[in-house]
Amino acid sequence: MGSNHTILTIGAFIILTTILQNFYRILGMTGDDIGDAQDMILANTIATSYVEIAQGLSFDSYTDTANVALGSPSVLTSPSLLGPESSSEDSIQTLDDFDDFNGKVYEKEAVGANKRFKTSFRVYYVDPNNVTAVSPSTRTFVKRIDLRTWRSYPPIDGLVTDTLRTSFVMGYWHFD
Amino acid sequence: MSSLIDYLSSLILGAALLGIILNANEMASENQSVYNGDMLVQEMLVQTAHLIEGEFRNMGLGVAEDDKTVMGADTSSITFLYDYDRKGVVDTIRYYVGTTAEMAGTQNELDRPLYRTLNSGTPAKVGVVTAFKLRYLTRGGEVLATPVAVNRLSEIHSVELTMEVQNPYAVKSSAGAAGNGTRDALYSSSLWQQTRLASQNTRR
Repeated sequence: MGSNHTILTIGAFIILTTILQNFYRILGMTGDDIGDAQDMILANTIATSYVEIAQGLSFDSYTDTANVALGSPSVLTSPSLLGPESSSEDSIQTLDDFDDFNGKVYEKEAVGANKRFKTSFRVYYVDPNNVTAVSPSTRTFVKRIDLRTWRSYPPIDGLVTDTLRTSFVMGYWHFD
Repeated sequence: MSSLIDYLSSLILGAALLGIILNANEMASENQSVYNGDMLVQEMLVQTAHLIEGEFRNMGLGVAEDDKTVMGADTSSITFLYDYDRKGVVDTIRYYVGTTAEMAGTQNELDRPLYRTLNSGTPAKVGVVTAFKLRYLTRGGEVLATPVAVNRLSEIHSVELTMEVQNPYAVKSSAGAAGNGTRDALYSSSLWQQTRLASQNTRR
């Protein structure tokens, strides 16, 4: 085999190796995508569970203790104080009103999947006429909770982590 | 002599090339079945989850504030009340799993049908699952022992449901590699877990 043939053969093998590398990379990426889809199903169910729990709580610490109709939102918790009223409200079971979730980060294991997911929470007063607009300094009868859920275990390879963002809006109402 | 070496070299390289291509082809088709299986079970799971999620969300709707919502609570079955057709009359819904013998026609030995009944109607098969586990929690977070005693049913504040769906057919079989007590085939699976309130009448 002449040197030209050798060079041609080596060149062909380099091309073949590159094609194979790409082929296996694409195969692996498809597997990752399907795995991510499963993670997002779990993240979605976990986020929905938190929303469901939040839905079952009182609108505000004031309405939790006073079962009366409010004419004005001025008696509600100040926007800067949204969050747990005391340090004893640290676990989900001890939260008693909607905004107690503000600033919390909870981790939950998906039983049977050996995966854990973290969820962080932010609660705001929002404009009743436009619930996408946060009302940073004014109390209103509508609050919004924003959740961000991501897989915390097993650790994500690489730098990019898929995060599920979801929101839920709760308004205050009272039957007399 | 030189030609012979050339022929032999070509033969070896050609064989190596053929081996690599065959291996890649086999891997591609194996992965294709695994991925298809994964997608299939995710779709099956989401379909069943949609139905259950919708009904569990309405649990307790139309039930008087002082009445209990959950009428029967076990590890893999639940009976609860809500006004299904919004006619002002509370309906009884029951979810329960059948036996694995009912799905004996599939390769998967763990799958079983999931049934739903409305009042005293005929059970309707609403999905196929490999796990359907329920946990019942009080407002304080206590996990109630199952089956939940009748006098504690009214304490149920939230219901945690874990559901797993697996492909009825194996996507990969490796009987030789399986040890004692392990399954000799690989099934795609997908998991769903959610907590739902047993009553919607707790808000103020």
